Amino acid sequence: MAAEDLPEARAALSLLRSRLCNSSFYFKPPSDSSDSNYSKLKFIISSSVTEACNNSILLLGPRGSGKMAVLELVLQDLLLEYPDMITVIRLSGLLHCDDNGAFKEIARQLCSEYQLLFSKMASFDDNSQFMVAMLRECGLAHKTIVFVLDEFDLFAQGKQRLLYSLLDAMQSVSSQAIVIGISCRLDADQLLEKRVRSRFSHRKLLFLPPCKENVERLLEHILSLPIDSDLPHDYIIKFNAKLHNMLANERFKKVISTYLDSDSTVKQFVRYLFCAISKLNLKSGLLTVENFEHALSDTQRQPKQEYIKDCSILELYILVCMKRLEVKEQNSYNFNSVMKEYKSIHDSFRTSDYYSRSVCLRAFEHLLQRELICFADNRGHNQSIEFRPAKLLITAHELHHGLKAYRSCPSILQKLMN
Amino acid sequence: MSKEEDTKATRRTTRSSSAAVLRDSGEIKKKCGPHIPTFNDLVFGEDNISKEDLLSNFPGRHTQILELLNLLGPLNSPMLPLFVYGGTSTGKTSVILQIFRHLNRPFVYSSCRTCYSLRTLFESILNQLLLHEKDADNGYLSAKRCEKTSDFVNSLREALVKVVKTLQGNPGKIGTKKLTGQGHGHMIYLIFDNLELVRDWDKSSSILPFLFNLHEVLNMNEVGFLFISNTSPDTYYSNMGYLDPIPVYFSEYTEDDLRKIFIRNQTNQEMYSSFLSVVLGPFYRITRHVNELSIAFSSLYKTYCEASDDLNDVPNESSKRARFSRFQPHISPALNQIFKISSPPSEVNNLKEAKRKAGSKKFGGCDSSEHLDFHMSTSAKYLLLSAFLASRNPATLDASLFDSTGGSSSRKRKKRPSEKSIEQKEICEQELLMKGPGTFPLERLLAIFQCITSVAEISLEDDQGNVAMDSQNEDSELMSDVLLQLSSLCNANFVVKGGSCPLEGSTRYRSTVSEDMALKVARSIKFPLSKYMYRR
Repeated sequence: MAAEDLPEARAALSLLRSRLCNSSFYFKPPSDSSDSNYSKLKFIISSSVTEACNNSILLLGPRGSGKMAVLELVLQDLLLEYPDMITVIRLSGLLHCDDNGAFKEIARQLCSEYQLLFSKMASFDDNSQFMVAMLRECGLAHKTIVFVLDEFDLFAQGKQRLLYSLLDAMQSVSSQAIVIGISCRLDADQLLEKRVRSRFSHRKLLFLPPCKENVERLLEHILSLPIDSDLPHDYIIKFNAKLHNMLANERFKKVISTYLDSDSTVKQFVRYLFCAISKLNLKSGLLTVENFEHALSDTQRQPKQEYIKDCSILELYILVCMKRLEVKEQNSYNFNSVMKEYKSIHDSFRTSDYYSRSVCLRAFEHLLQRELICFADNRGHNQSIEFRPAKLLITAHELHHGLKAYRSCPSILQKLMN
Repeated sequence: MSKEEDTKATRRTTRSSSAAVLRDSGEIKKKCGPHIPTFNDLVFGEDNISKEDLLSNFPGRHTQILELLNLLGPLNSPMLPLFVYGGTSTGKTSVILQIFRHLNRPFVYSSCRTCYSLRTLFESILNQLLLHEKDADNGYLSAKRCEKTSDFVNSLREALVKVVKTLQGNPGKIGTKKLTGQGHGHMIYLIFDNLELVRDWDKSSSILPFLFNLHEVLNMNEVGFLFISNTSPDTYYSNMGYLDPIPVYFSEYTEDDLRKIFIRNQTNQEMYSSFLSVVLGPFYRITRHVNELSIAFSSLYKTYCEASDDLNDVPNESSKRARFSRFQPHISPALNQIFKISSPPSEVNNLKEAKRKAGSKKFGGCDSSEHLDFHMSTSAKYLLLSAFLASRNPATLDASLFDSTGGSSSRKRKKRPSEKSIEQKEICEQELLMKGPGTFPLERLLAIFQCITSVAEISLEDDQGNVAMDSQNEDSELMSDVLLQLSSLCNANFVVKGGSCPLEGSTRYRSTVSEDMALKVARSIKFPLSKYMYRR
């Protein structure tokens, strides 16, 4: 331990990590450009708050493109702008996709918002009547209720009673509410029943992955240290200079574009940056291109290849036997037929790796555990393992590739593959 | 301290003892007085270990430990969810628990194996967070009863906010006993172990996305998530989708790692290392699981020591070679018994046998000892054989096989095999391999049992010239407790109860005995089994 960890590097690391875990930081629009989703959404919601009308809108886009984060930013701003005029009710399809639970949750949140007494025993009817009454009351008091429905597509399962009663209640003039659905299914509005769809305004906002320039801006925005922080000044200068150097580096650009080729939503990208940041060398306290290269291989793993690499020689034999059976177009096979093939290989090639049946069965079980192979059907639980039909979960190509990468793989196996 | 520093060969005990340490700290205090659970219970224990100890405790896991430490980050810094995966006995759980012991940060560990349903999982997490202990006073009830995910999220958020507030409120007070300011902080980590089991739960298609999205749903920066799984992330894909957690891979140990692991805690280091140099190579070709290897090695090492007992203990080149030549014949039989779990006396038998055979015969197949290595009554053996026959032979041929002459006549009608019949035979053989033993009703089993026991008596009479009276007595004796025998065979897993037949409604049985085994049993009671077996 010659060099000690730099305290300022540790502080910088903490700062960067908290930035990466805070979605409102990196989804905050750089400037108030008029065509960003942020400003569009803000305009829609604020106009319906000021004009006291009902509205409904869908935010669509792939997972991790910042739908919720942008909405949270907008709601935060509007709550400051119009205090005491907005009530936000948050539901998630993952948690409240049954109608009963959803109404209960709405009632609970309304009660806690207006300091009313919430009864756990209230029935479905009670809760839905309470919601309609609250909508009317709030409308008369010129207060807007914003319903945020995360995982909107899950609410569209079943009878859609929640959606119907929500949207139906909004048809009356007295109510004043906004329903915001968030979904990563682009066809979310097609899932709605006719009676629900006719009451829904088909306004959609699409969230797209960032373009290349935006990614670069994002990188700089996230990674550069602020000048006015309490870190030592010369360290900040050094860190930022090194960062700018790196951002201009061709090798670095290539790494980033390799990553973006596979997945390009902001959150995935942030996850990748998190991996890279965590590799920051605390002794020098500076980011290097190697950090990003290592993170690339760490986040883009190939589990099947890794598991093949970890197989013992005997397990490889079994895999190869199964592959040979598949090539022979046997429509189904089980451990017994694998053993027959294994024995025939041994008979014709005199391999040194010939083990007893019980040992092979154990190796077979290891493969099952790793999910390189699995049983072909779920039936026959009372059959013993030997007789249940099995199948490979890896392609011949993957196996071939895995054998090539395997250290000290017996050459006979490679030959048997062809 | 000593237990946790064991090798990973005893990973299971490490896991249970590390969990026990958590509980123990509470229980011991309780004995001396009413224990009021504090937030200290969320930390591993009183004693923490240094980074050097941590690294040296887990040879072959340096990269993984450093990667995890990097991802967990410095004190009080938020993190994204992690997904730790790797095969069994690669040290996932113990490494993570020991890392938390080193970091001395609060965590909540729950395994999806002990928490077998969603409700128990939720309640175990909440119990730990709310510092609730099940005891006689509260009727062994959980702190909160929750079955629905929505209820769970509400109570979890409540509990977490409370815990985090306490942790933030008095960082100094909790850390007074600690050596330095290191440790604690206001982060709390939720660890989910054995996540792969969740896939078999009811409604797993909605539970898994929920667990993976819990980070987003809670949206609390003070909570870290770690998922530990046997299977790789690509086996979790579902319709719903989620943001992938950061993958951390625990690879299987390499040969060098295994050598380092096994050499730890050995008294005679040199002896063991020479033992390993002989043994590890061949065994490594079969399996890489530490727990399986350690079982195989422990008995093998004894024979290795025995083999070298008369040699003087000073290991030099010549004695090493001599020892090797004496020991070598033991290796290959042991390779084929690596997964055999046998009771101690029979193990000794096997070894002795192996010794006897070693010189004369090269190993072939599994152990082909003439006698059975377990005890079984004669009637149970007959029952076993009749179950085997009932499973193997088609029911339509029973009449011809078990006629009064004892089935030998049916073997007489042999045709010359034509090409077509050979082909058919192959197809049949294939079918037998695929389908496995057939099922049979109880009545058929009893009928066959009666047939073969009566035949056996006749043959016995022929051999020994017994009188008929005796045999009848014996017959009734054999029949007396057949049903009892059958149920004990079922318990011993020689015969399995299958599902009931949809038409008749009676239970059907299936024999799981292999042909070798059946032949062995038949030989032990001198029963001509091959005569009754239908060859296709």
